[in-house]
Amino acid sequence: MSQPRNVLLLTASPRCERSNSHVIGKFLADKLEEKSLVVEEAFATRLVKTCEGTEKLLGSVDNADVIILATPLYVDSLPSSTIRVLELIHEHRKAVSPTKTQMLVAVMNSGFPEKEHMDIALKIIRNFAQESNLEWGGGIRVGSGMALNSEPLDEKKGMTRKLTRGLSLASVNLSEGQPMSEEAEDLASALFLPLFLAKSMTRLFGGRGWNKEAKENNAEAKMHDRPYALARARL
Amino acid sequence: MKAVIFNGAKEGDLTINAIEKNIADQLIEEGWNVEPIELRNMQIAPCVGCFGCWVKTPGTCVIDDYGRETTGKAIQSDLMVWLTPVTFGGYSSELKKALDRIIPILLPYFQTYHGQIHHKMRYKKYPRLLVIGVQESGMDYEETFVALVERNRLNFRPPAYSASVFQRGENAEKIPAFVEEQLKKVEVIS
Repeated sequence: MSQPRNVLLLTASPRCERSNSHVIGKFLADKLEEKSLVVEEAFATRLVKTCEGTEKLLGSVDNADVIILATPLYVDSLPSSTIRVLELIHEHRKAVSPTKTQMLVAVMNSGFPEKEHMDIALKIIRNFAQESNLEWGGGIRVGSGMALNSEPLDEKKGMTRKLTRGLSLASVNLSEGQPMSEEAEDLASALFLPLFLAKSMTRLFGGRGWNKEAKENNAEAKMHDRPYALARARL
Repeated sequence: MKAVIFNGAKEGDLTINAIEKNIADQLIEEGWNVEPIELRNMQIAPCVGCFGCWVKTPGTCVIDDYGRETTGKAIQSDLMVWLTPVTFGGYSSELKKALDRIIPILLPYFQTYHGQIHHKMRYKKYPRLLVIGVQESGMDYEETFVALVERNRLNFRPPAYSASVFQRGENAEKIPAFVEEQLKKVEVIS
């Protein structure tokens, strides 16, 4: 595609500004802004609650040269609210012929350390792009996303070194109208720890983190409750 | 025996409605109690990712709407059926809004399962899982769709499961045999 000008950061996490999806997408968008591209931010799940918001969102999509879709992984796929946004954009683009070449890139994150958990969801986004006349600009899969704690990436220092370097590389590609390079995708999708260590830490500290939150809610003793248990018949 | 059908179709989807009716008819004939749920008609807010169902009211969603009930319906069934138009290779937003809300059937804690990190199970027993996607003609997303169900299987660990795609526009007379084949795969009819 030719030199892009307008970038849409489309955060589709239900947690909006407080989401890890947003902080990752925002870092990439800021890098593009530094390269003199014009960035617009939209919080998709908030906008699609009203007809007016949906129209605004679709207008922003039409206007963009590069769309950054930032979304988390929910139950092996995209959150229902993200799928709803993609359905709406797809319906809109079927009815309106695109007037220019546009590119979609995906920035995903998940609490699991293995990036492979996000492979199917990324394929779904890529299929959406193909069906909606959007060029595919590549996808980033950030594992152990909860460790980011929704804080700006440049405040996390060493922990996000590979991620920020990968996103910076991606911004160079995208600003030139090119898809993200494999190097940028791989670097940004690399864990900040060796996988075996990240898995051990997830099992150990993940559990402690849940217990701490439960304690703050006076729910620690109920963590293993089975409120819908029945004496079930067996086949 | 109880089956719950989560129907994620849009209004007027004749193919999915025919598949739902065939599943119900065949199961009822075998003595099953079947509860079809047309998700598009139910008040189910999207999951907001607050984790309240894990750390505030463990096992129960904090949002008080029909989505909360879907958790009980899922775990108290012997067979859970998911019906959906294949949407970019995955589930429709209508089906997914229910699936996102049933995560309290799992624990937040992590374990290694099949070599990867997954959540631990909250309950002792889980229902069998039958998933059918209806795909538009000209589309070829079966591989992605089946792979998605396989990922869900690793999380929900049903004692038996089946994932398949029915092509929209196929002769409707094929539906009963197609449904029968899927019900046999999850070992609920012989």
